[in-house]
Amino acid sequence: MTIATTIQAHSRAREVFIRLAAYLTILAALVITLFPVYWIAANSFKFDIDIFAVPPEWLPRNPTLKHYDEAFIQRPFLRYALNSFLVAVGTTIVSVVFGTMAGYALARFSYPWQWRKQISFWILSTRMMPPIVSIIPLYLFFNYFDMLNTKSALIVAYTAFNLPFATWMMKSYFQDLPVELEEAAIVDGDTRWGAFLHVALPLARPGLAATAIFCLIISWNEFLLSLIITLTEQSQTLPIGIAGRVTQYSTYWGEISAAGFMACVPIVIFAFIVQKHLVRGLSLGAVKG
Amino acid sequence: MLKSEKETLAAQLRPGGGLERWAERHLRFLMLAPTVLILLGLTIFPSLYMFYAAVHKISPNPDLPWEFVGADNFARLLSDAQFHVALWNTTVFTVVAVTTEFLLGLGLALLLDKFIRRLTFLKTVLMVPMMLPPVAVAITWKLIYEPQFGVLNEIMYRLGLPLQAWAGDVNLAMFSIIVADVWQWTPFIFLLMLAGLASLPVEPYEAAALDGASSWRQFWDLTLPFLKPVIAIALLLRVMDALRLFDLVFILTGGGPADRTKVLSLYIYQVAYRFADPGYAAAISLFVLFVTIVLSTWFMKRMRLAE
Repeated sequence: MTIATTIQAHSRAREVFIRLAAYLTILAALVITLFPVYWIAANSFKFDIDIFAVPPEWLPRNPTLKHYDEAFIQRPFLRYALNSFLVAVGTTIVSVVFGTMAGYALARFSYPWQWRKQISFWILSTRMMPPIVSIIPLYLFFNYFDMLNTKSALIVAYTAFNLPFATWMMKSYFQDLPVELEEAAIVDGDTRWGAFLHVALPLARPGLAATAIFCLIISWNEFLLSLIITLTEQSQTLPIGIAGRVTQYSTYWGEISAAGFMACVPIVIFAFIVQKHLVRGLSLGAVKG
Repeated sequence: MLKSEKETLAAQLRPGGGLERWAERHLRFLMLAPTVLILLGLTIFPSLYMFYAAVHKISPNPDLPWEFVGADNFARLLSDAQFHVALWNTTVFTVVAVTTEFLLGLGLALLLDKFIRRLTFLKTVLMVPMMLPPVAVAITWKLIYEPQFGVLNEIMYRLGLPLQAWAGDVNLAMFSIIVADVWQWTPFIFLLMLAGLASLPVEPYEAAALDGASSWRQFWDLTLPFLKPVIAIALLLRVMDALRLFDLVFILTGGGPADRTKVLSLYIYQVAYRFADPGYAAAISLFVLFVTIVLSTWFMKRMRLAE
């Protein structure tokens, strides 16, 4: 055997090894990622006695919908889910409408005194603001206007961090569009606003949809602000309802598993709808995956 | 940028009223104005209001007037042991969780770079944890950590290791929180790094290979510098999220046992609502806001993210 073939055999062995390691890692990552999600789903379909089984019952042997009945029919989790949905939709509409216009303006127009850079930067920094920081003024503000415990208050509060997100996302999508098409429309007699409305906006539709779905997800998942602003099931959202069943004395495992799993289902569906935009969405438009 | 001559020309050629023409001329301001005004109202106003609250003693009784106390609330930050504990816990959590997520995520991305690039479906599956409601993640891990019938203790038992109280144990509580956070957020780093690796240019690597550079050298001299902007974004977003950690702690430990997982957000919440001292809570909030602004500004300026 010549030296060359020995080296070749070596590097092939190395490649096989790396390939094997990679596949095993993917497998391990998948198991670790999916098991907790599977586990909450599995427990939501078990009778209480099977949830407490030692050793754990890996597959529900006596599947039941009892906890779904408890949570969504007997207790007001359907109401919580509806509140979550309405608040998420309201926030998304406000954020996407204004965020799209602002994102377009920041992507296309020039401003005096470096405003473009400064304003972009400032909008991004409002996204960085921890929500706990604004709860005290928001609480007092909503209290003053008698808005505590309303869905509108939640929409206002959620807009504070969804609007900067939507602005940055849409800015990044508009920056990717060729400006020539809008220029052509203006030469053909369209107004500047018309070029935005009839040319840029339709082209940015996939980005618009992705941004909207991200806003829905962010609002649907929010917990802290809702915890402070809402007090009764009239306006409480799904995460608050779930947390309310984890008390100091007992935890209603079946019920919270059912509600928790149901809270995850739409998110997983959404994640698959926007899968091509996920990296960009999660990095506020900074990384174009 | 559009040529302004073209803009004015088009505007002059268009029929329409004076208002329409005025709107068209100031379009760049009008399109930006709603967002700027809303965000001013929702961020600047609360911040200013918080300064006002922080220099007062606010009674839980809404009929009593606020009592001006000057810098007292800020002075308390220096002597309040609970605040120091919360600050320490937040720091430990942020440093350990984000470092772990970063190393795991980058390592996985480097290993899987060639195998997973095109598998959008697989990537989406791996991305699921970070999209889930944090409350659902928290109860899922609560179920796994449960000392009596939880899965983790079952694994410990099978391995012949001592059973633990996990989130209920003084020494393991913070660890448990970090594990749950790492589970949820490592995929974030992983996918961002994967996106970064996919966009690396090919030529420098060919040149380096010709020069006989080892893959280790190539990693330090080429891959890491090229990835720097993506790494910066990923770390910035993760650190900002870690500093505001609330949901996981609220559900999993409630800050206990023995305040071992009491983080800043949770402490502010407790001061404001359980101890009914919004003035002091405002002072702590301002501290957190200050730290956040300093950190994120430093990051963004350094990495020129606003470009």
